[in-house]
Amino acid sequence: MHAETEPVARLRDVTKSYKVGRTEVPALHDITLDIQAKRFTMLVAPSGSGKTTLLNLLGCIDRPTSGVVEIAGQAVAELGENALSDFRAQKIGFIFQGFSLVPVLSAYENVEYPLLLTGMAAGARRERTLSMLDAVGLAEQRDRRPNELSGGQKQRVAIARALVKHPQIVLADEPTANLDSATGAAIVSLMRRMQAEVGATFIFATHDPHLIAQADTTIAMRDGGLLKTGDLAQ
Amino acid sequence: MFRPCIIALALTALATTAQAQTAHEIVANADRARYPDKPFRIIATLIDYKAGRPIGRNIYSVYSKLDPATGQFRDVMLYVDPPRDAGKLLLLNGPNLWFYDPASHESIRISPQQKLSGQASAGDVLSENLAEDYTPTLAGTETIEDAGHKSRVCWRLELKAAGDGAAYNHIDYWVEKDSFTPIKAKLYADSGALLKILYYRNFVVSDGRNRPTQAVIVDAVDQTLVTTADFGELHFQDVPDAWFTRDFLPHLKLR
Amino acid sequence: MMFKIAFRSIFRNARRSLTTTLTIGIGAAAMLIFAAYSLYDVYILQTTTIERGGHLTVFRKGYFDFGSGDPAIWGVGDYANVVRLIRSDPVLAPLTEVVTPIQGLGGIAENPGTGSSRTFFATGFVPADQARMQRWNEYGVGHNLESTDLRTDDPSQGVIGFGFARNLGLCERLHLSGCPTLPKDAPERDNGTAASLPSQDFSGLGDTSAPRNATPSIDLMSATAGGAPNIVTLKIARVEKQGSKEMDDGSVVMNLGLAQQLVYGRGEAKVTGIVLQLHRTEDIDAARSRLQALFAANHLNLEVRDYQEINAYLGQTLGFFRSMFSFIAVLIGVVVLFTVSNTMGMSVMERTAEIGTTRALGARRSRIRSQFLLEGALLGVLGATSGVAIAFLAAMMINASGLTWTPPGDAHPIPLKLYILGAPQVTVAVWAVLVVIATLAALVPAHRAARLAIVDALRHV
Repeated sequence: MHAETEPVARLRDVTKSYKVGRTEVPALHDITLDIQAKRFTMLVAPSGSGKTTLLNLLGCIDRPTSGVVEIAGQAVAELGENALSDFRAQKIGFIFQGFSLVPVLSAYENVEYPLLLTGMAAGARRERTLSMLDAVGLAEQRDRRPNELSGGQKQRVAIARALVKHPQIVLADEPTANLDSATGAAIVSLMRRMQAEVGATFIFATHDPHLIAQADTTIAMRDGGLLKTGDLAQ
Repeated sequence: MFRPCIIALALTALATTAQAQTAHEIVANADRARYPDKPFRIIATLIDYKAGRPIGRNIYSVYSKLDPATGQFRDVMLYVDPPRDAGKLLLLNGPNLWFYDPASHESIRISPQQKLSGQASAGDVLSENLAEDYTPTLAGTETIEDAGHKSRVCWRLELKAAGDGAAYNHIDYWVEKDSFTPIKAKLYADSGALLKILYYRNFVVSDGRNRPTQAVIVDAVDQTLVTTADFGELHFQDVPDAWFTRDFLPHLKLR
Repeated sequence: MMFKIAFRSIFRNARRSLTTTLTIGIGAAAMLIFAAYSLYDVYILQTTTIERGGHLTVFRKGYFDFGSGDPAIWGVGDYANVVRLIRSDPVLAPLTEVVTPIQGLGGIAENPGTGSSRTFFATGFVPADQARMQRWNEYGVGHNLESTDLRTDDPSQGVIGFGFARNLGLCERLHLSGCPTLPKDAPERDNGTAASLPSQDFSGLGDTSAPRNATPSIDLMSATAGGAPNIVTLKIARVEKQGSKEMDDGSVVMNLGLAQQLVYGRGEAKVTGIVLQLHRTEDIDAARSRLQALFAANHLNLEVRDYQEINAYLGQTLGFFRSMFSFIAVLIGVVVLFTVSNTMGMSVMERTAEIGTTRALGARRSRIRSQFLLEGALLGVLGATSGVAIAFLAAMMINASGLTWTPPGDAHPIPLKLYILGAPQVTVAVWAVLVVIATLAALVPAHRAARLAIVDALRHV
């Protein structure tokens, strides 16, 4: 049991609806939960149940229709657009399903990019980027473009990119979905190791049983709402 | 514009005496054969010829009067023929030549440039005031042929322009000895080039002297161009001074 | 980093970027080549004008507005002193190439051999000064231009136009080729009532003492300042075809002395103007002010006009070229605007996911906007720069090709040259304007990119 005093994320009565034409389509309703720090937390749900939406809200790339979202002690509603961008730049890392690396940048440059957004000095950037690439085992491939890397290599770059700024939270949407099981397993161990090194909170949305097996906490969802909160001690 | 060559009415006492004449006396005397010194009206017929063939004819009714203040002649000329020009007027007053068209009620000044050719230039020739504007010297006597190919014994005079009023730089002038009949003149430009040759002919005896009724003007530059001016139907009448102003032209009703 | 992304993004879709860059480049080249062409033409026109008539002309006050109908009475009196005054002035002397008096006049010209006549207009020059003026070449356009210089000190010789010779029936006498004589069925004046009058024989009344000139000559008749008819003989030294029909049919270039003799006759010889030709055209205003000050100080009733006032068609030609250039520039600007806007729009659409990712990573909207504006600007720079290179290459090829053309107002073909280096500020301006237009064209797509909702963009894979 990991006992923490402050949850890294706190949601209270959060709903999110989208306007499709003139109708309101509810994606999330009555979400109230806490997410503890430095854990592997899994969101488990069938497709269309709103887990991506929840992930988006946690990652501050979307705002709730109503309710309170508090990340790392900061109420998201209080931040303007630019402040929110800066907040993400400092504190939140993303690992996307489709890798989403900038195709014209090398692996090194892709990993370096978030550090530019934090205003880190050139020397420190170089050191951090190289050490992160090293940590994910891609030091040799650092000058390769994404189209020259395998699926697994690309995801490792994505992980490095997500972690390079030592964020408080890392959000990963189906990070192993496009990988074969062997690579996927390797990625999972890597993430576990990184989590230990950097001390970030990982929140996953996933179907992958390997990943689910690693979960410290599981949150189940269906039809836009929470099912139950389980706490699996590891 | 024109200085019609008319015999003076009362020139009887002109000397047949062969005394030595001064140049000025000769010119002044010959002038009296060219025009009278009382106001008069005359019909002038001008015909232009090219290589002997007539190419244009105008008939004018001319009213002329000397201005005693300036010594200049003033003329009002009414176009009589051809019919398309009938009714138009020309006014010569000192150095200015005005043209008036009754159809447009407009009068315009004719510049010296426009008098370089055509009947306007012939008019210039005939209207030269030889006694006033030129300084004469007698160069001797010479026998020349007149325009009728008749031999004449003449005084030869050299006239030099006395000022800006003279149109020609100098003139060679032949006046028949003792009869003071003007026979021939050669008119020169400031550059020294010969511009015109003027002859008087068709003499008629009247009041005791020969009077020319026709002037022949040969263009010295293109000698195929010749203009003849015939004068007739002279009669003396009073010509009001008012006729010789530009503003009066529209009101002038002449026959 | 933004530069890296911009650069590499452009080259990522090489074909589309190449098309866009070439569109801009060809547009830039078109503008620059047209500018070079018009510059050349304007320089030639200016050089011809300044060779013939200098930069400034001193007239009697009022001559310019009223004197053309009767130049004789508007002459500058005691002109020799005015010329001396100008030549010895310490401010004007270093600026001027030539100071020379000229006489303008008009009248009737006649060919005594055939009796044909025509009105003419003439300018009298001092031959040595005129020859010096013909050598002026500030713009380096060379001396392939036609000239009407007298090339002789014989004061009775002059130069006439080709049409003039033709009108006076001098074709045969002057052995001119391509000069038709009066056809047999040429119209004749209708003599009206005079035709019915009898012919006359005036033989023997003429004067045969005047010698016929061995050299072909014409008689020029005019009225003097005093109003008297005057006539001089002009020996024809040369016939020069003139650019415009009016000039060709009626102009005469003659010696100043002969012109004065004709116009002033027995009166004081004056001149209608004193011409100043400067070393540099840019000194015109300084020279003009100095002349005005000089005249005021010496109580002279004179005024100064420059070559553009005297030759209105120059300003009109310049204006014409400028308006043409503006027209082309606007057209090309619109094309560039649409092309770049389209290209950037497509680029934004293709990189929607990338935009979403970058925003999720924490990039502000302004960063996204700047990124795409930068790419538009970069396309503009690449396009404009290649356009300059294309223009230079094209100009070099054309200049070396030996092509010729006949400028308006001239009579002879001259080599075609593009003055691509003549006005570097034009090149810079065209370059800069196109870069700005390309950047502006990216504004709308960049703005749209910045405003994309992150979640929508991320969905766009």
